[in-house]
Amino acid sequence: MNKKIITRQNIRKIQSEYSYLVSFIILVLIALYFNHSFLSYSSIITLISNATITGVIACGMTLVIIAGMIDLSVGSIVALTAGLGILVLNKTGSIALCILFCLGMGLVLGLLNGVLTAYAGMAAFIATLATQCAYRSVITQIGQGGPFSVDRGILKSFSKIATGKLFGSLPVLVIFLIAAAVITWVLLTKTKFGCYVFATGSNEHAAILSGIDVRKVKLAIMGYVGLLCGLSSVLLASRMSSVTASNAGSGYELDCIAAVAIGGTPMSGGRGKIIGTFLGALMMQMISTILIAAKIDPFLTGLVKGIIIIVAVIFQKDTRNG
Amino acid sequence: MFLEMKNITKCFDATKALDDVSFSCEKGEICGLLGENGAGKSTLMNILGGVFSPTEGKVIIAGEDITGSDERKASGAGIRFVHQELNIINDLRVYENLFLGEELVRGFGFTDKKAMREKTRQVLEKVNLGDVDPDLYARELDTSHKQLLEIARALLFDARIIILDEPTTALSEEEIKNLFGIMRNLKADGVSMIYISHKMAELFEICDTYTVLRDGKFIASGQMQDVDEKQITTMLTGRTVKKIEEKENHSKEVIFRAENISCGKYFRNVSFELRKGEVLVFTGLQGDGRGELAEALFGIRKMTGGKTFLEGREMKYTSIKTVMRSGIGMIPRNRKERGIIKDLNILDNLSVAGYARDKGGFFVDRKKQIRSFEECKTKLNLKAGNPKDAITSLSGGNQQKVVIKRWISLKSRVYIFDNPTQGVDVGAKFEIYKLINELAKEGISIIVFTSEYPEIQQVGDRLIIMYDGEVNRVMKREEFDENQIMYYATGGDRRKGS
Repeated sequence: MNKKIITRQNIRKIQSEYSYLVSFIILVLIALYFNHSFLSYSSIITLISNATITGVIACGMTLVIIAGMIDLSVGSIVALTAGLGILVLNKTGSIALCILFCLGMGLVLGLLNGVLTAYAGMAAFIATLATQCAYRSVITQIGQGGPFSVDRGILKSFSKIATGKLFGSLPVLVIFLIAAAVITWVLLTKTKFGCYVFATGSNEHAAILSGIDVRKVKLAIMGYVGLLCGLSSVLLASRMSSVTASNAGSGYELDCIAAVAIGGTPMSGGRGKIIGTFLGALMMQMISTILIAAKIDPFLTGLVKGIIIIVAVIFQKDTRNG
Repeated sequence: MFLEMKNITKCFDATKALDDVSFSCEKGEICGLLGENGAGKSTLMNILGGVFSPTEGKVIIAGEDITGSDERKASGAGIRFVHQELNIINDLRVYENLFLGEELVRGFGFTDKKAMREKTRQVLEKVNLGDVDPDLYARELDTSHKQLLEIARALLFDARIIILDEPTTALSEEEIKNLFGIMRNLKADGVSMIYISHKMAELFEICDTYTVLRDGKFIASGQMQDVDEKQITTMLTGRTVKKIEEKENHSKEVIFRAENISCGKYFRNVSFELRKGEVLVFTGLQGDGRGELAEALFGIRKMTGGKTFLEGREMKYTSIKTVMRSGIGMIPRNRKERGIIKDLNILDNLSVAGYARDKGGFFVDRKKQIRSFEECKTKLNLKAGNPKDAITSLSGGNQQKVVIKRWISLKSRVYIFDNPTQGVDVGAKFEIYKLINELAKEGISIIVFTSEYPEIQQVGDRLIIMYDGEVNRVMKREEFDENQIMYYATGGDRRKGS
């Protein structure tokens, strides 16, 4: 058999499968143009740290979208768990308890989304739109619109979670994002559960006929995202030391979905890669960095992000039916 | 002659779907168009309806050559198609459904609702639906009324020829009578009709003439009164009676038993026994409830009555997983929709069912997957390169082999093969037959659902012929005969009074 490397099919395959790499490289080059030390250790580390809080959620969002669903409530889950988490922290003075509470709370809120979509048969878009409003409202009521602040006595040790450094210079935040990405990657590519996630999004009917309990799979995915939101809320609280009930975490759902989309995961489900989402989350962060370096009015950030998402996704163009 | 289709040939790429077929129909005549699946009936009617244009030949209506006209022109010439599947949109009102795409308009492009309602009332009257309000939403009508609505749609504008493609599959005896009454009235008005059906009894009751097609060729035509059912059946199948190979069987041990199982309107009181190492085939024609029976046996569809037993113990259909665990596997029909999972690679496609059934094991066992893949290559002659390639990179036959292997790996005691060779090339078909026979030899019991005679002949030990949701006839292998099977599948011996 004669093997041609450069065929039209191969180019198309690269275009649809690895376009996130191309977009990433282009963005890196642009960033380098404005900031020649962009690829230095410290800028890279800063970039990843800044991407972490939404990035960990984006890892979970990848599973949600691969399975053919969507989760609009992640920002509200973060606000609700972070607010309550700070209350728990202030009351008990125990950081461990606070972390456990946040993870547990996130999990429960995520599972609630899962029950609504998988068992009550609601469209994920509507179910999570409803819980987005509901979760947000609960925490705003509890905080009466105001902020939740970590008590001074415990602030110093609590803020170490987000600002602490390992080996002298490696921020703990970076570890969290990389760990979340690696764990999700293992889950998605090495386990039976990962196989079910793809199967559910690709052909739900065939998945059911193969004996997969699709509802359980959806429930688990939503729970997993909730858990990651819980983690994200700990990081957010630790980093900011105070969260505002009405706007903490707002817009996270869009940042996460955008990261997944420019990372090459199609909204139609069935396919997707965690490495893409990881780079996607970094890209979302890079855009902000570049705009600052290029001295562009920060009010235009949204416009530039929007354009980049559109261009990246058009470039990926679904070739499945081609 | 009012309608004449002369020497029609239609090629799709290299295959000839129709080869020099002629067909004609007088004014006010009901013509039966007969043929097995794939005989070319639909292609011929699609040419008449302007969906395809013929490669060769002419279509003439009332002396006017309308060859090669598109759908709009054909419908303007008074040709109306009543499709087998319902094209009624539930969320639209009755009159909106009727006029869909052909709305009456007054000035400025506004629809003329009043005129449409008025006209709707008139045509509903003609199809004995006078009591249906044109403003009702279609969802509120039951299936038979929807079917009549399809016919009413054909009557909206001056129809000269109405094509009815199996209009009775969803109708009850009573409703069929009603339909025939309507057809007779139309006939009296001078409307010609072309009636496509597999049901012999109906054809003999309503049709004046018949035309038989087989493998895209014209076989015969004539007056209905000059022939009987057996003659028609012989024309349909062709005279070639193939010799049946000997098959050895088997133990008397009953593995699976169904007692009077029913499922709503789909099938009723079906009972059968499946022995160890036996291949039991179910056949019939469209609308016989076979597909639903297959689904019910695997627990996808809830039975409304009756019991099933696996090795003497009553089956519990709590979930598909429990059915799988109890030792039943099903290779589903319609590979694209129900079989392959298109975004998974070959390995994962091979193993999903196993993952779902077996407890424990969090991680994917790559080595085991590869072993299964290699087995599939040797045992089923799977033609595939890299096991991590997308399933869609394989040919249809090879995809089907992967789906089959997915289930064979489970080592179930009973397998249900629902149309296992649908859309599969001939070579792969024979490999699948071979596999089924080998499994049976190993003592595994198999139920095959199929509508293809060669398949029945290749694998069947015993045959159950369904008609209209009930078992019409059971045959042993020695009795297999294509004409006889066709006779019973079309409802032979079951007409009223016999």
